[in-house]
Amino acid sequence: MHRFLRLSVLLMGLFSAVSSYATDAPQSAPMTPDSLGPLVEQPIEFPHNRHAKDMQIDCMYCHTYARRSAVAGIPPLRKCIGCHQSIETVRETPRIKKLFEYWEGSKDGKIAAKTPVPWKKVHDLPDFVRFNHERHIKRFIEQQNRPTQEACGYCHGDVKEMTVARRSKALSMGWCAGCHEKDHPVTAEGGTPIGNQAYWYSFQKPVANASGSAIKAKGPNDCWQCHK
Amino acid sequence: MMDSGFDRRDFLKVLGWGGAAVALSGCGNTSIEDGRETVVSYSEPADYVIPSIGVYYNSTCAQCDAGCSINGRVREGRVLKLEGNPASTINRGKMCGLGQAGVQHHYNPDRVREPLLRKGDAGETITWEKAYALIAEKMNGVSGEEVAFLSGGVSGHLKVLLGNYLDSFGCKNHFVYEAVAPGVMRAANKKSYGVAMPRYSINKAKVVLSFGADFLGSWVSPVHFSQQYAQFRKGVDGQRGVLIQVESKMTLTGANADRWVAVRPGTEGILALGIINALGTATGDIAAAVKEYDRVRVSKETGVTPGQIDKIAALLKLRSPSLVLAGSAAEGYAHGSQNAAAINLLNHVLGNIGKTVEACESVPFPQMAPATGNTAALKSLSDGLAAGKYKVLFSYAANPVFTAPGAMKFKESMAKAGFKVAFAHYMDETALQADLVLPLDSALEDWGTQVPEYLATCAQVNIQQPLMERLHANTRGMGDILLALLKQRRAEEYKGYEDYYAYLRGALLKNKGALGGANVDDDTFWNETLTRGLIKLEGPVGALSAKANAAGLKLPAPAEGDAQYPLHLIPGVTASLRDGRHTNQPWLQESPDPLTTIVWDSWVEIHPKKAAELHIVEGDIVEITSKTGSIKAQAYLFPGIHPEAISVPLGRGHEAMGRYAKGYGVNPFQIMDAVYDNETGELAMHETRVRISKTGQRVIVVKDEGSAGGSQAGKKIAVRVSTDDVDLSEEV
Repeated sequence: MHRFLRLSVLLMGLFSAVSSYATDAPQSAPMTPDSLGPLVEQPIEFPHNRHAKDMQIDCMYCHTYARRSAVAGIPPLRKCIGCHQSIETVRETPRIKKLFEYWEGSKDGKIAAKTPVPWKKVHDLPDFVRFNHERHIKRFIEQQNRPTQEACGYCHGDVKEMTVARRSKALSMGWCAGCHEKDHPVTAEGGTPIGNQAYWYSFQKPVANASGSAIKAKGPNDCWQCHK
Repeated sequence: MMDSGFDRRDFLKVLGWGGAAVALSGCGNTSIEDGRETVVSYSEPADYVIPSIGVYYNSTCAQCDAGCSINGRVREGRVLKLEGNPASTINRGKMCGLGQAGVQHHYNPDRVREPLLRKGDAGETITWEKAYALIAEKMNGVSGEEVAFLSGGVSGHLKVLLGNYLDSFGCKNHFVYEAVAPGVMRAANKKSYGVAMPRYSINKAKVVLSFGADFLGSWVSPVHFSQQYAQFRKGVDGQRGVLIQVESKMTLTGANADRWVAVRPGTEGILALGIINALGTATGDIAAAVKEYDRVRVSKETGVTPGQIDKIAALLKLRSPSLVLAGSAAEGYAHGSQNAAAINLLNHVLGNIGKTVEACESVPFPQMAPATGNTAALKSLSDGLAAGKYKVLFSYAANPVFTAPGAMKFKESMAKAGFKVAFAHYMDETALQADLVLPLDSALEDWGTQVPEYLATCAQVNIQQPLMERLHANTRGMGDILLALLKQRRAEEYKGYEDYYAYLRGALLKNKGALGGANVDDDTFWNETLTRGLIKLEGPVGALSAKANAAGLKLPAPAEGDAQYPLHLIPGVTASLRDGRHTNQPWLQESPDPLTTIVWDSWVEIHPKKAAELHIVEGDIVEITSKTGSIKAQAYLFPGIHPEAISVPLGRGHEAMGRYAKGYGVNPFQIMDAVYDNETGELAMHETRVRISKTGQRVIVVKDEGSAGGSQAGKKIAVRVSTDDVDLSEEV
């Protein structure tokens, strides 16, 4: 009798586990390099293609916090207005009219003046992950002198071809490891021995170079670099 | 034990599968919510505002009256963490746990958010305009004598505004009430030294003899004294300072002392005179006054062995300068002033005046100096209320319904006031009795100036500035409220000040020259002042009276035992809860008491010998009965208390205030008898006599220390030796 009861408890547990996993199913496989996120409807359909491709505006002109801080932030409303108040040619287009409603307040009074645009977050990481924009920009753009759009594109995809941004990379841990393993192999000697878990993701797999000596990488070689 | 087939092994199996099930469902990127979360940008940020990078502002801690300067980290417009401001001579960049919890005062979910007007037993939300109009209406035709304003300690420009407001209708009834304040000490110091609050230099002393002054925990300016204490321990000329603590209940300071002397409650003054006698250096009328206090008599009356007295006297002779402190434990008696006078006399005899007890500077604006008070003020208010004298009662920064001694019956007297206005952060016990409750800004949202009562090395005016915007749209700063009320009375005079900020700025700029800004323009002075968070000043130095005076010193014989109420009740003032105004900050409830390690509840400290006599073990719920009332709490066996006394910490036992305060522990204020110090009228907090009885219930005491408690189970982990067995020459 008890044995039967126990079995049913186990089965219930397994069933609930599988079903809770299944409900989350429509998500990208963590290891594929490209996986499109959902289409996100934004309050204003911001045309990245106009700004980044047609106008050739540097990403960091608007996303100015990215090189100064761990988080990229969203450009302040003043930034948009700063340019657009002197671009008469598009002043009466629907999207720009909408933008100015946030700055000046809407006529129906629903939006107060200087209300920040309630953008939806497109590139989101779990709360236990700390990604640092500043460090990546320092390395790729300032040290290695790569074009901004290329460097940002490693994670954000080809934004200049989009209107509103859409996530196009997995942004999972395995996906991060994909780069960090390829470009910055880490030695067991160089890093901190942290058990098997990091090896799953190849963060610490010892790789010998041609001369046989191990290479010490600059990539994260400890869990707390991202999980703090 | 269950006798089903579901044994330990099966239980672990199920647990294991259950864990695996949870882990499996937790896999994957379930916490990523693309396109669902809104990310709010700034509309017009200042240049220095960068997301995720902190900005730091200086302000002043308002958790107690010590006046430590703080530095708050603000990120994305939210204050996250407070640290000490190194520029302050009071706390020099350090902070205590109580101060750290200040953010929990600010973010507290139980703050009052709207003005509330009594409607039966509930509060109805009203607008500020209506609230102000209501006050104007109630004040209409009421004379100054019929209004009473009760407040905690106030200083700076708020005190000036408050004074002006009361002046505007000729009211002289400003009652300043601090529940746990060194009221007796101020008066005794004034007599002994000529100043109420001299500068103590623990760091210059080679011996500190403290009679119940918990200067590391809750006495006057603990953060400042803790730093002095660290220097004192490092030593002057390489000689490590020796701390002797005389008290009936061990405090945090007592736990740090080299020599902890348990004295019979109330006989501290007798011991002080006994030490003067043992020193044998006094002359004239002091020698005459202590002549009869020979070691045999003193030992008999205080319970301190003659050997101890000799050792203390020998040490004080050997090392000079020393410092003798009188704290609340010595002063909480009907003869508290006499005790303090006897203890202060020791400083004179030892020649410490001018060496470790020094004159201090005061702020050159006397109108800004802190208004201090004690329970005597509350008593006269309570008497006035009971007599129906007051038509309007204001209450600010005090919670007398919680902290008044039970015998005073303040709640009943308060009910007789015609219209009661409470300016409140929480719906505490006093606010619940009010007719109109006006919600205040937290200290991290408000403007202000503060002058500390205890000034460290120079006169100092502390600046309080908002670290972030208001959390709740409808709270107001006390300064703004007073200004609005003043405009009802003297519209012409105050019309130039749009708000309290404008008033404060105007007032400080007007005295720019005296505040050290003579050669800079207004904006520069103002910005630099806000950046620094404080103004250091040259102030007048008070004169210390070096002449000792033993006249009028008359100590009563130790109190006789009371057959009905044999034990002394010692209210414990803990470093984090004090008088209970911050009990609704869960960090303070959660941080273990330093001596007993108990959390979230009250306890009764009782000596193990006494407990054995009464057959009480740890966790027994005991009932403590005084003439005034009774409370029930869990027993904790504690060797650091005199066998004739028990102790219950203050601060807990709220019936209101908020989710983290209400219903946790008991309130010893409730059972305190109305006994007052003979000279100052301050409440004699240690005079209440109680009896203790078991109720039959027993609980597990929730505490950090292990179940063995202080017992080392014979393992000699920390070896200890009775102080009587220590040879003085080896000890120091």
